Amino acid sequence: MTRAAKAQPAGQPRRTLLLACGNTFRGDDGVGWCIGGAVEQQLHHAGLTVVLTRQLLPEHAEAVSATDIVIFVDCSAVAPAGTVSTIPIQPAESVSHALTHHLDPGSLLRLAHELYARTPAHAVAITVGGESFELTDRLSRTVKSAVPKALEAVRSALCGPPIPETTAQVC
Amino acid sequence: MAQTFTIDPVTRLEGHGRITLKTNDAGEVSEAFFSVTQVRGFEKFCEGRPFYEMPALMARICGICPVSHLIASAKACEAIMSVNIPPTAAKLRRALNLAQTIQSHALSFFYLASPDLLLGMDADPADRNIFGVVKTHPELGRAGVGLRRFGQHMIELLGRKRIHPGWVVAGGVTEPLDAVKRDEILALVPEAYANATMALAAYKQIAGRFQDEVESFANFPSLFLGMVSEGGRLEFSDAKLRMIDAEGLVLVDNLDAAQFDQLIGEAVEPYSYMKFPYLKSLGYPRGTYRVGPLARLNIASHTGTPLADAELNEFKKLAKGPVLGSFHYHHARLIEILHGIEAIEQILSDSSILDKHVRATAGVNRQEGAGIAEAPRGTLMHHYKVDENGLMKWANLVIATGQNNNAMNKGVLQVAQRFVKGDKLTDGMMNRVEAVIRTFDPCLSCSTHAFGQMPLVCELLAPDGTILDELRRS
Repeated sequence: MTRAAKAQPAGQPRRTLLLACGNTFRGDDGVGWCIGGAVEQQLHHAGLTVVLTRQLLPEHAEAVSATDIVIFVDCSAVAPAGTVSTIPIQPAESVSHALTHHLDPGSLLRLAHELYARTPAHAVAITVGGESFELTDRLSRTVKSAVPKALEAVRSALCGPPIPETTAQVC
Repeated sequence: MAQTFTIDPVTRLEGHGRITLKTNDAGEVSEAFFSVTQVRGFEKFCEGRPFYEMPALMARICGICPVSHLIASAKACEAIMSVNIPPTAAKLRRALNLAQTIQSHALSFFYLASPDLLLGMDADPADRNIFGVVKTHPELGRAGVGLRRFGQHMIELLGRKRIHPGWVVAGGVTEPLDAVKRDEILALVPEAYANATMALAAYKQIAGRFQDEVESFANFPSLFLGMVSEGGRLEFSDAKLRMIDAEGLVLVDNLDAAQFDQLIGEAVEPYSYMKFPYLKSLGYPRGTYRVGPLARLNIASHTGTPLADAELNEFKKLAKGPVLGSFHYHHARLIEILHGIEAIEQILSDSSILDKHVRATAGVNRQEGAGIAEAPRGTLMHHYKVDENGLMKWANLVIATGQNNNAMNKGVLQVAQRFVKGDKLTDGMMNRVEAVIRTFDPCLSCSTHAFGQMPLVCELLAPDGTILDELRRS
């Protein structure tokens, strides 16, 4: 049975881990890092740790297990370009592939549970639909314009329980 | 009726490969080929670039052992510059290379090999992965994740990035270590010790269950090559080469990087892009040899660190001379993890480690240079030629995995002859054929500069080449 990470004592800020994923050399795949960097600079949220990473790794499991909220920020290769989505994440039921170098968010939650018997009370993925994944360190105009909306989604996730799955097209 | 089996792709390897097994009319496996069917070409596309770009460029060959490429490349550049780097820079690079060895060995042992060792070669493939290990042996799962995190975090602290750090450059490193980072690393050492010693104890408990595999996994006489420092101490970054034979006789000693190409030739086979290095004096294939953890522990007389020395003494009792069975690569890897932690603690406790002078500068003083480092998988060689302006004219990379190529092929044949029966492949057979390759922990993307994914295919062929059975894994 999954046990939520031990809650912080009253008055202490909730521990929040933001895992910003992506490859900054593959165009819009770098939007996770762009958002993660902006969160670090603009949202001075007590108890927040931002980790920029190219992939989710088994080595992230301990940090995930020790947090109250985990927010995954990444580009979506399947969502319409510029679409910001907030998706609740549950631990994966099972993981059958031969894990070596990378994980999806649900599998990482599952691994945190298996290894450390704890998972965060709340876990969400905030994704931005990508348009171009060519070899460049720049975001497409469509995705760049979606970053403020994604930051708002992060702000909401930081302030409360995860938002039910919503999809908002960037205006 | 003679047949051919193909395993394609071979799974739980760094990169992707293909295995073809041929049977004779008696139904016995008569030939085996481990093929790497991909090519990248770093040796070619570096031509025309300034030599000092090579460490950063060549490190992109691999995401697992970029530090070894950085160090071998930087040393080749330093040979071109004719400089000796500051002693503190050399110590820092040694520590970085050991950190990489720890994280890479942890990946190999815990993530790739331990599912076979802990759950059994015949366990359900759906469970035979790291998640299966975590379920049944959570303490070992945590130890593996912890050791990998230790090595990666240390690389990130020193080089600012876990993968492809730009810190190692021709002439030394770009910035000195500060006390805060040193103390952070040293604070992680006790947990790393605990994880490594737990893993060694667990391995020694279960190794006895694999007597068949110990005897049949690439267990044959061969030469062994690696680096040792003066006095025969295990060394990964700054030392000279030693080669011994299957009896332990030293054939070559004190050989430096510049002499490497006089000693070693490279053969090619039509079925693989991976080269087949060999000792020139013995010719090909007689002169093929093994590198990596097993070779290093066979050629070294001691490790220079107390806990690993005790383990090495025990390891050497496995055989009267060099340990020949490749199954023991797993054991050797764990001893090297322990040594790496001890050596890192020693290096970072040295009072000179915070010295600010960490980089030498020079231009082109020679038009040829070679550098060697021990990568996790074995000896790594970078050899460059430049023009008078320092632009690259030629490069040759001799990669650890390639040096084990012939041994892997012989190992596949040995295992297939032992375990593959009849005209059908079973998962247990296939896994043992793959597992013998996993003992070497090959990095196929390093050895061929591979691009993209190649699934593993295992084919069973009749003498006339007809495919009788085929298994694929993606």
